[in-house]
Amino acid sequence: MAWVANVAAAALLAIVPVCADGADVAVTVKSVNGAPLTDVALILEAVAPAPPAHRREKLTARMEQRDRHFRPELLVVETGSLVEFPNNDTVSHQVYSFSPPKQFQLSLYRGSVHPPIEFNTAGLVVLGCNIHDEMVGYILVTNSPYHGQTDAHGNGRISGAPPGNYRIRIWAPRIADAPTTLERRVELADAAAVDVTFALAKPLLAAPTPRPGRNEWDAY
Amino acid sequence: MCGARALLLGVLLIPVAALAEDRLVVDGLIDLREVHTDAAPSYLYGGLGTVRFDDNHDGLRLGRASLALRLRLADTVTATAVIDSYDDGDVNGLGVTEAFVRWRPFPSNSLRWQVKAGAFFLPVSLEHRLIGWSSPYTLSASAINTWVGEEFRVLGTEVEARWLGASSGYRGDIALVGGVFGWNEGAGAVIAQRGWALTDRPSYVFGALGRQRPGLYYEVDGRPGAYGGVVWRHHERLEVRALHYDNRADPAASNLGGDGGWNTRFDALGARWEPVDRFTVAAQYLDGRTAIGPNGSSSQLLLDLSSWYALTSVEFARDRLTLRYDRFSTLQSTGFYGPADDETGHALTLALMHRLAEHWELAAEWLRVHSSFPPRNALGGAATTTDTQLQLAVRFRFRLDGG
Repeated sequence: MAWVANVAAAALLAIVPVCADGADVAVTVKSVNGAPLTDVALILEAVAPAPPAHRREKLTARMEQRDRHFRPELLVVETGSLVEFPNNDTVSHQVYSFSPPKQFQLSLYRGSVHPPIEFNTAGLVVLGCNIHDEMVGYILVTNSPYHGQTDAHGNGRISGAPPGNYRIRIWAPRIADAPTTLERRVELADAAAVDVTFALAKPLLAAPTPRPGRNEWDAY
Repeated sequence: MCGARALLLGVLLIPVAALAEDRLVVDGLIDLREVHTDAAPSYLYGGLGTVRFDDNHDGLRLGRASLALRLRLADTVTATAVIDSYDDGDVNGLGVTEAFVRWRPFPSNSLRWQVKAGAFFLPVSLEHRLIGWSSPYTLSASAINTWVGEEFRVLGTEVEARWLGASSGYRGDIALVGGVFGWNEGAGAVIAQRGWALTDRPSYVFGALGRQRPGLYYEVDGRPGAYGGVVWRHHERLEVRALHYDNRADPAASNLGGDGGWNTRFDALGARWEPVDRFTVAAQYLDGRTAIGPNGSSSQLLLDLSSWYALTSVEFARDRLTLRYDRFSTLQSTGFYGPADDETGHALTLALMHRLAEHWELAAEWLRVHSSFPPRNALGGAATTTDTQLQLAVRFRFRLDGG
């Protein structure tokens, strides 16, 4: 009977071809006046819940502090990732989050004194520094292994997703458009190359002023 | 003897150990000036002039020598002390300007609390953004903030509740701040006696202001004063401050030394806006009153005080150029000093701050204050004066910490 199963499987494969390379989704994000947007998070999620991807080792990422900024400002990680918070600044920081997906506090430090933090729940984690209120960073935690960020030309690429129905979602802290307009449904066939362009309808929220580092006497 | 030496050595080693552990940060400033002025005798030397230096006290001067120490007592508790020396012929050559403990716990939701206790500046100024209550804009403070620095050190406690906007997608925050304090019955004496001035001479907490009588901060009625206000910061580009202050002093009270209760209250409102990078506009307004002598009595001195300023500041590569216009007035409603002691005046300040190299800054400031204040007649001067002061400063800043 084994050959019957094999034939059936072959027939199924003929209908829904599966390829190890998966699809290739190219995403472009443009501002309201057509300028490319950098560092926008791109997340490709299966519409039907997919079985959790099995990984042999933990994913790691870094959220550095330098020049009184979180670098990068926005980090996209998969659930289960370990994130380090090295402080490579000239001043000490006290990093915290009270966002529901992950709440933590790192007591005052410089360098890499704290062990990495594990992010196990999907969602947006807003980071702050309890000494420098103007420092704000974001960690977007997703269950999907298919994610990325746009480059300086506003382009990003997500590769390797198996065929199926997906939702592509974008997010960045200064995008003011309604969340419902920031996602598209895409159907991916085997080895398909799909282009998706998001053109924002609203101008970005104002960027925070970079504080000149010259006067570090910032106690007031 | 040996024990005393060991103790002394131990005391001296505490800061070294704290520095090594990254618990102590020391910020130092030495500011030397070449001053040229034709101003009437300065208040710091017993006169009623409107600027810090005067005709007999210019040339090479010590602008300020300052040490600001910040010691971390626990993860969220810091102690700050600022020790200054000005050499303005002060009764005390060295003094404590601020000394307080601050507790700022980690926020567990959008509301972040902070408590300060000790001696610290009233949170009014939009000019003094830097540690040690120094300004990146000018050498001399505006008339409003000169007064705040002279008479309104909080000796008490302040609680702040700040709503942090970031987690709601808002780049900004709003803080409600309130404080209670004592030893502030003297607040009003300097402005009543001397009138408005533009200096960078805050008072010492335990000392005097120049040669004027020591002890600006005293208690005669046992009634605490209070203040409350709002601070709104929007997108790191706009900061708005509003504050109501009332020292709740009993104007009829006095102590054996003759210090009376100056009943002083005011409202202060200000905004600082940086619409684009490297460009700042700021303005503050203050309206208040001070009274001494029993309420309802014809011997009560009641002064209505009002001042505002507007400044604009532009930054270039290594330079910051600031222009400020101040206006101030005092109206005497009643009082035993006789009528027509009203003061009106205005001032123009032009300052250039230049970053020379790491640690080194140059500053140049031209300040002209024109005012009319009749009590100057009693000192043999003209009621109406125009004080002009030119200052060139060399500043050396350093920081010691464990890093």
